[in-house]
Amino acid sequence: MAEKHKPAPMVDEVSEFEVLEIAVRELAIEKGLFTAEDHQHWTEYMHTLGPLPAARLVAKAWLDPEYKKLAVKDGVKASLEVGIDWVNSMPTKFGTPSDYCNLRVLEDTPKLKHVVVCTLCSCYPRPILGQSPEWYRTPNYRRRLVRWPRQVLAEFGLQLPEDVEVRVEDSNQKSRFIVLPVRPEGTEGWTEDQLAEIVTRDCLIGVAVPKPGKTANDPRPVRPAVNPYHHH
Amino acid sequence: MSKPHYDREHHVKKATGIGDPQCFKGEAGPAKFKVGDKVRIKDLPDIFYSRTQVYTRGAPATVAELVYESPAAEDESWDNTDNPVWFYSVVFRQKDLWPDYPDAFANDTVETELPERWLEPM
Repeated sequence: MAEKHKPAPMVDEVSEFEVLEIAVRELAIEKGLFTAEDHQHWTEYMHTLGPLPAARLVAKAWLDPEYKKLAVKDGVKASLEVGIDWVNSMPTKFGTPSDYCNLRVLEDTPKLKHVVVCTLCSCYPRPILGQSPEWYRTPNYRRRLVRWPRQVLAEFGLQLPEDVEVRVEDSNQKSRFIVLPVRPEGTEGWTEDQLAEIVTRDCLIGVAVPKPGKTANDPRPVRPAVNPYHHH
Repeated sequence: MSKPHYDREHHVKKATGIGDPQCFKGEAGPAKFKVGDKVRIKDLPDIFYSRTQVYTRGAPATVAELVYESPAAEDESWDNTDNPVWFYSVVFRQKDLWPDYPDAFANDTVETELPERWLEPM
């Protein structure tokens, strides 16, 4: 009878990658490369990261032309003003091994729209944007954005006129990128707080543009395959 | 016979508190290209590891920015930091990468970063 009252497991199974991570982590702790306490600190640090500082950076840049110049020239220095220290952050204090310390802020204009991808893996400016969305890491997005950018942007609901240059930024080395979109109409007289609210994560990756009243990301569109494979 | 010693922490010691790629600043020597230069991406063999995308090989591009100095990925993947090189942000016209890219969008571009050794003047 006790069987009946057994609660359902919270996760059905642990993936192979999770098993591998646990094994490597435990070996590293056993060998003294870092302590279990270090690991807990790093994990907690990773969970504090999100896109709010980058949204704040964009809002400040819209309001202050001098700050905008600094952001475009030296993204790492500009990040300090929104509370992000790329160099002295955990765990390494020289840029986490995969994030490095070279933030580039890509300035859109009415005739130039940037959008970021990493075709080789999934490089992402995590210190200032948090963990990447799942779709950003999929081969579908990574393969197609660089080859058919307008079609992929259209799937996100962003259709751009012919005379706008779409520039795909393929993040393949030590720079990490955020997009500084054009400040939308209808935001005249807004405060920094109000402006930061409409700079969503998708706007910072470049697959969306900010709009007054829009403060959340759209769900990633999932469309059925044109030529689906049938199991017979 | 003493055991050969390899300093596994050489990069940590160099980069801590300074940042990577900042810690390689000034080590690459004079840059071969400047902003605006037309370059072609070499089609070098990539044994074991590279971060030069296959779709860029052989394509013409324009230097947009000298971004930083760093060992090239092909060296750094083996922990070889002896030869830092200049890294360039280069811009491709989509049409030069994909010949059937629609003419209506002839202004569209791709930008990416490549180490000096992968570029040749045009």
